[in-house]
Amino acid sequence: MPDTQSLVNDFLNKLRKRKIEGSQATAKQTAELLRSVISQTRVPYTNQAGALIDAVKAVGEQLIAANPIELAVGNIVRRVLHIIREEDLSLTNAAIAGLNLSGVSDDEDGAEGDEQPVLSAAVLAAAARSTLRPPSLQTLLEDVPDSAAVPHTSSSGGDSEGKSKSADKSSRSRKLKHDVIEAVNELIQDIVTCHDQIAEQAVEHIHHNEVILTLGSSRTVLEFLCAAKEKKRSFRVIVAEGAPRYQGHLLAKELVTRGLQTTLITDSAVFAMISRVNMVIVGAHVVMANGGVIAPVGLNMVALAAKRHAVPFVVLAGSHKLCPLYPHNPEVLLNELRSPSELLDFGEFSDCMDFGSGTGSPLLHVVNPTFDYVPPKLVSLFITDTGGHNPSYMYRLIADYYSADDLVVQRRPTPGN
Amino acid sequence: MWWRSPSFILDRQQQNDTASRNPESISLSSPPPSMADTLQNPNPNTSTSAYYQTRAVVTSDWLAQAQAAVGRHPDDDLPVNDERTKSAAGDAGKPFSVIDEFNSWRKQPDLAEAVAAIRALAAVIRASQATTMMELEIELKKASDSLKSWDTTSISLTAGCDLFIRYVTRTSALEYEDFNSAKSRLIERAEKFGEISCKARRIIAMLSQDFIFDGCTILVHGFSRVVLEVLKTAAQNKKLFRVFCTEGRPDGTGLRLSTELAKLDVPVKLLIDSAVAYSMDEVDMVFVGADGVVESGGIINMMGTYQVALVAHTMNKPVYVAAESYKFARLYPLDQKDMAPALRPIDFGVPIPSKVEVETSNLDYTPPQYLTLLFTDLGVLTPSVVSDELIQLYL
Repeated sequence: MPDTQSLVNDFLNKLRKRKIEGSQATAKQTAELLRSVISQTRVPYTNQAGALIDAVKAVGEQLIAANPIELAVGNIVRRVLHIIREEDLSLTNAAIAGLNLSGVSDDEDGAEGDEQPVLSAAVLAAAARSTLRPPSLQTLLEDVPDSAAVPHTSSSGGDSEGKSKSADKSSRSRKLKHDVIEAVNELIQDIVTCHDQIAEQAVEHIHHNEVILTLGSSRTVLEFLCAAKEKKRSFRVIVAEGAPRYQGHLLAKELVTRGLQTTLITDSAVFAMISRVNMVIVGAHVVMANGGVIAPVGLNMVALAAKRHAVPFVVLAGSHKLCPLYPHNPEVLLNELRSPSELLDFGEFSDCMDFGSGTGSPLLHVVNPTFDYVPPKLVSLFITDTGGHNPSYMYRLIADYYSADDLVVQRRPTPGN
Repeated sequence: MWWRSPSFILDRQQQNDTASRNPESISLSSPPPSMADTLQNPNPNTSTSAYYQTRAVVTSDWLAQAQAAVGRHPDDDLPVNDERTKSAAGDAGKPFSVIDEFNSWRKQPDLAEAVAAIRALAAVIRASQATTMMELEIELKKASDSLKSWDTTSISLTAGCDLFIRYVTRTSALEYEDFNSAKSRLIERAEKFGEISCKARRIIAMLSQDFIFDGCTILVHGFSRVVLEVLKTAAQNKKLFRVFCTEGRPDGTGLRLSTELAKLDVPVKLLIDSAVAYSMDEVDMVFVGADGVVESGGIINMMGTYQVALVAHTMNKPVYVAAESYKFARLYPLDQKDMAPALRPIDFGVPIPSKVEVETSNLDYTPPQYLTLLFTDLGVLTPSVVSDELIQLYL
């Protein structure tokens, strides 16, 4: 599949050179790339799901390594892996139902042992379900702890199917791939429409004559505010400019063209203005599993100001921004330093950058971090495309979207234990 | 203004009476068993809870004393008489007692309390002469109740019993089978549980590795096998970190942990329990184990954990809890005094006048808002997940 490889390389280059702006665009392109990878992958007759998972993982590993800061890539890779597992499971279940109905005799399965074939299939399905489900107290005693087959149950399910229904298998393999691609298409659709779904909830949160504060620019926030405006809410928006990129200026202009009462302030004026604000609404870069937020720089300050004055701090995030990882040392590890030219024009301080000062290093440093980490205790509410959630509830959404097996995409050969 | 009720004085008089009656207990300064205690804890040796009598942490002379105390009270006092059955496997003539079974399992060094409880319940199944699932369930229920009431202070014992009973009463794995194979399956699962618990410790150690970074300082309070495993794995992974161990009065659990860590060549510093706040600014994270994780997401652990967590919270340091998921218990303590107190004598080195009251309880409850994350074999969890897991299991 040379063309897939070139597509992958193309995308890798873009990621490495940071050519793609914003997690939504990244998520969408990742999903599209993975869709083409899946459609190009030739699946064997047995273990189709395993083959697909391996192919997606191989690509996903490279993508994540290309830009480890852009967590949306990893999120989408894991979502697609979860989709494959889910589709495989539902197909297996359907096949079992078929087996039960047609009452296939145990002539072929007789070699495996004296168990009833229906029972063994049911046990297999249960095992497959338990791999999909995150581990819980309920499964602690039920599932077999030492079976090496657990990570590959979906594939062994495919095997036994293949054994008992050989005529069916080619159609089934095509069906699996078809279903997976269909589901990935749905995922892409979700990513594209997440703004609208979040914006639909705007009227529940923004009330008449309220003052909303936001920082920087986020398309989700823009749509959210405009949706409230369209529903005849009249409110005022205070926009902090979001130095050093000043995207707040763009947002303010956009809001004014849509007819919203807007005030522009500097970032340092947030504390001065916060006492008259009713609600802070911001976008996020990534939402971590503990409910912490990686957001554009400056937001931690806004969150602290909001906390100080007991103003609700609301974060809007599409479901592709939910990351199943926990942040450790996020201020350093999940941050990126951008070009200093955003702070200073080149040349302006060139005499300070003089290397001839004896030590060999310049006296002036310019540091321009991109992100802030806002701890979960500062966030009042998350609004995702499925509704409003408490920070401590994020893990629940994550359990719905991701399989526990996929959390670590890189380490493919799991250490045997 | 709030005044103590006169009953306080009555209590004191009673205490003085008991103290004068057993002169040898003065230096241990054990308070008299209150009415509530005697009701809750059928184990008559109330100066120490049953929880500590066979624990590995106790000193040898104390152990001897405790064992002598146990010996004085044969099991006939305990409400296990009704479900006694002849043990099928030898023990000729000796009646089967789930508590003896539990204690014999508990003597194994690496076996957690909950696992011992489940093993003991498996022995009940093995010895049982029930012929239907219903009978077996009733028998198990009785056995688990007697185990639980034998030691109301041990959270993980309660949690282990509850988990196993839950498994027996509501498992889909038994649906298709006849009674005998179901029985053997239950026994097999219970025996596997020991493995699960060892595996759980390894999973927790793996999960927590990302959180231990090079050059960090970790404060540990109390001795916990899980925490030791975490630190051991980190040392094996060539992480560079140092550990502050609190002394852990009165058991000296911190001393034990520090010796174990010194064996692994991890730099250790021993603190007295009251030096926690003094050294907190050097600390990057606090690691504690747990005796039990309760429904609110808080933990019940060795005395002093609450204090450590409060100091860490004040100084904005993360508090991580390492606990296996079978320690999740369906309890919702509202305050510190809401649980059956686990009493533990304290040796002050000098005789304490009998009029001086001594706080001897040894467990405290740390509310969830002071905990950052829980590392369990179910994954890294925020405290609020615990209630969710418990609800899923017991609803």
